[in-house]
Amino acid sequence: MGFYEKTKLKIRRFLLRRLPACRETVPLISESMERPLSLRKQITVKVHLLICSWCQWYMEHLHILRDTLRAQPAEPPETNFASTPGLSQAAKDRLKQRLTNLK
Amino acid sequence: MSEVQPQVIERTPDAGVWVDEHGDYLFKYAMFRLRDATAAEDAVQETFLAAIKAYANFEGRGSERTWLVGILKHKITDHFRKSIREAPIGETADEDGPDHSEFFAIQDSWEGHWNPNYAPTEWHSTPEELVEQSDFWKVFNDCLSPLPARTASAFTFREVDGLSSEEICELLSISVNNLWVILHRARLHLRNCLEVNWFKRQ
Repeated sequence: MGFYEKTKLKIRRFLLRRLPACRETVPLISESMERPLSLRKQITVKVHLLICSWCQWYMEHLHILRDTLRAQPAEPPETNFASTPGLSQAAKDRLKQRLTNLK
Repeated sequence: MSEVQPQVIERTPDAGVWVDEHGDYLFKYAMFRLRDATAAEDAVQETFLAAIKAYANFEGRGSERTWLVGILKHKITDHFRKSIREAPIGETADEDGPDHSEFFAIQDSWEGHWNPNYAPTEWHSTPEELVEQSDFWKVFNDCLSPLPARTASAFTFREVDGLSSEEICELLSISVNNLWVILHRARLHLRNCLEVNWFKRQ
């Protein structure tokens, strides 16, 4: 690692230790998924993200997760529920019985 | 406005066939959301009953199953409304889920920053790729299920159904600040669980 990179890393670490910690920033990132942040909070998050790649990933992941979950089709394929047990035969019979009676 | 009256076709669906064709699927969907076999069975029954009554309105747009899922979603929401009315969650509510304080360092000058064992790393997948992977959904369901029921429901209402904070607060009868704490904890947990059990194994 050259002198330049070393100095850059030192500066990043210096700043990271003096800024609000990740533990305080992560809830703000979550809040930003719910409503626009106040100016003060916006600045806190933006400055933090400039030097913290962990929290950059964190924010990106929350968006990937949201976009993936909302892209699920209206009728998700049955394989998406592979780990969930289905209806027992007894339950099916019970349902049919009730549906015929209640109709 | 005068419109051409649609021809009324008398259609009486065979509920027995529906149960055989869609019962299993709808039940699994309901189980994923309600986590209780009795409640899920009730929701499926309510769905079929509503579907029988409204069958004339089903215009054959899209599949029958998609239409049934749409009704089921309403029944699931109704279930939450009803159960909150019957047993309001008081101050001694079930916990909001783990706060995962171990994700952050507690010693030395890095106090409060990510603990390297839990720090986020790069994910090499796009939402378009993920949505196609049925294994991803299995891992997602497994990661969601250890969360307390209310936390998992709040997260699903928000991120899967896209309901607004206000709607969820009304459904679960919680304050907006409480909702944000719950969502934050759910995200902290799910992000880590997915990274460990899916993204690092790809």
